[in-house]
Amino acid sequence: MSTTGGGDVHNWGPLVGDLARRREQALGLGGPERVERQRGLGKLTVRERLDLLLDVGSWVEYGMLADHMDAGLGDRYLAADGAVTGVGRIDGRLVAVAAYDFTVMAGSMGNVGEAKIRRLRHHAVSQRMPMVWLLDSAGARIQSTSGSSFAGAGDLFREQVAMSGVVPMVAAMLGHCAAGTAYIPALADFVPMVQGTSSMALGGRHLVKAAVGEDVTEEEMGGSAVHTKVSGVADLEVADDEACLDAVRNYLSFFPAHNRERPPLRVCTDPVERRVEELYDIVPTAPRRAYDVRKVVTAVVDDGEVFWMKPDWAKNLVTGFARIGGEPIGVVANQPMVLGGALDVNAADKAARFVWLCDAFGIPLVFLHDVPGFIVGSAVEKQGIIRHGAKMLFAVSEATVPKISVVLRKSYGAGYFVMNGLAYEADYIVAWPTAEIAVMGPDGAVSIIHRKTIDALPEEEQAAKRLELAEEIRANIDPYVAAGHGQLDDVIDPADTRAAIARGLDISREKQITRPWRKHGVLPV
Amino acid sequence: MPEIRAEITANVWQVLAEEGQMVAEGDEICILESMKMEIPVVTDTPGVVRELHVAPEQVVQEGDLIAVIDES
Repeated sequence: MSTTGGGDVHNWGPLVGDLARRREQALGLGGPERVERQRGLGKLTVRERLDLLLDVGSWVEYGMLADHMDAGLGDRYLAADGAVTGVGRIDGRLVAVAAYDFTVMAGSMGNVGEAKIRRLRHHAVSQRMPMVWLLDSAGARIQSTSGSSFAGAGDLFREQVAMSGVVPMVAAMLGHCAAGTAYIPALADFVPMVQGTSSMALGGRHLVKAAVGEDVTEEEMGGSAVHTKVSGVADLEVADDEACLDAVRNYLSFFPAHNRERPPLRVCTDPVERRVEELYDIVPTAPRRAYDVRKVVTAVVDDGEVFWMKPDWAKNLVTGFARIGGEPIGVVANQPMVLGGALDVNAADKAARFVWLCDAFGIPLVFLHDVPGFIVGSAVEKQGIIRHGAKMLFAVSEATVPKISVVLRKSYGAGYFVMNGLAYEADYIVAWPTAEIAVMGPDGAVSIIHRKTIDALPEEEQAAKRLELAEEIRANIDPYVAAGHGQLDDVIDPADTRAAIARGLDISREKQITRPWRKHGVLPV
Repeated sequence: MPEIRAEITANVWQVLAEEGQMVAEGDEICILESMKMEIPVVTDTPGVVRELHVAPEQVVQEGDLIAVIDES
């Protein structure tokens, strides 16, 4: 059939038909057998995932007709070269999506697929929209890149670093990912993982066996249990693909499209002046008694809705996104139920990262203090608690978003500083009548201040004297002493906590902080 | 059998479980005292307390064995 012959030929049928056939072929992914295998593992296909993630009819695809174009791979066809890329909308707002297709050569990173994703990264930055990776990929396509042409590779990570804090980045773990596709989440802001079907590791199972001789499954090495409970690399464990994509949509609802836009407001029907009298039941006035601070957060924020970040790791401190009066906030709260709420290396790490994340995208921070301090002793010193503690201090000090503090009960020593004490540019700091703010607790202070006095007494009198002196110190640990010095903006009825936070946000919305020029600080890590 | 270990250096304040006792998920085995706080030690697994290695007033280091729970 000729479409190019002389004369007035309008033979469009075959051309349009050929195009439709090519599209059809791309939509067939890695073929029925591999699609079946994908479903058999409990996973959705790449295109089903896009349908669930994005608003109906919003998808604009880049490079659907791509193939591997690698002579070394012969005449086999690789749909979209294993990477489906494009732009769609979530809640009406644009988002760039790169989705690896495991049915096409195990979602391996081919040259054409990576070029498409590079183009998408550039689009996300130049158009200032969030970028979402749906990761289900074995990593580099070794068949194409096993030689030293690798010397030119790596732009994907360097570019991701440059994007960090400019546009939100989400890496959803929907399959077993190794090496290259494990670093993408490491550089993203938010990493949900599907339980049972996803993993991430620097080396996959076969490489690990060859390199270090360890026999281990992908799940044991880098499954969701490892990364959401032990390593802290991932943020959230979810039950399946649907829950994962739902989490991505929910997460992005708190974020602006980029760092120069304000976070999106939502219509709020929960009155900001609502008195939260449940707090009287939730929080014991007995200072040593534990309780679940998550209940405090839930009771205070709009409609009791909180999006917890890293809920199963470093549980002695909780972090999460919520709203007050429809305005997104990031909450950092000590958790007395775990380790008494004392801060350790992982809690400091978790808090620092969360504070940096909120600060990057203009999300105000709300700190709820109930912290006996940083854990002391030889065990934590060996873990480097000083540098991890310094990291949290650094992040909180640097943050220029509105910062509101509510001191519920204890707030001791450096724990008070890193939880955004007055000196940390807190825009509004209030305390409950139960608040105890001091450099250290009375018992510790007695041991240091009165050690000689106590040691000089006969042994049977020491305990009583210690108690008596501790009571003297305790009398000065009182929120009204701090308020008397003007170091607390107010002491509040716990039931007015929600209203107090709303006031704080309302009066600090136009916050501007100017600091001396520097290239960047030297971050403790 | 699942082991429960101390997550922090602490004094043992109260021991609430006994050897041979049935415990449910979330039950408190003992309460430690550290960093000015009562720190409840709970079991994540239901079962029988097979071994109990702590007594009141004792000091435990991070990682010390507190109890062994028999799930069977």
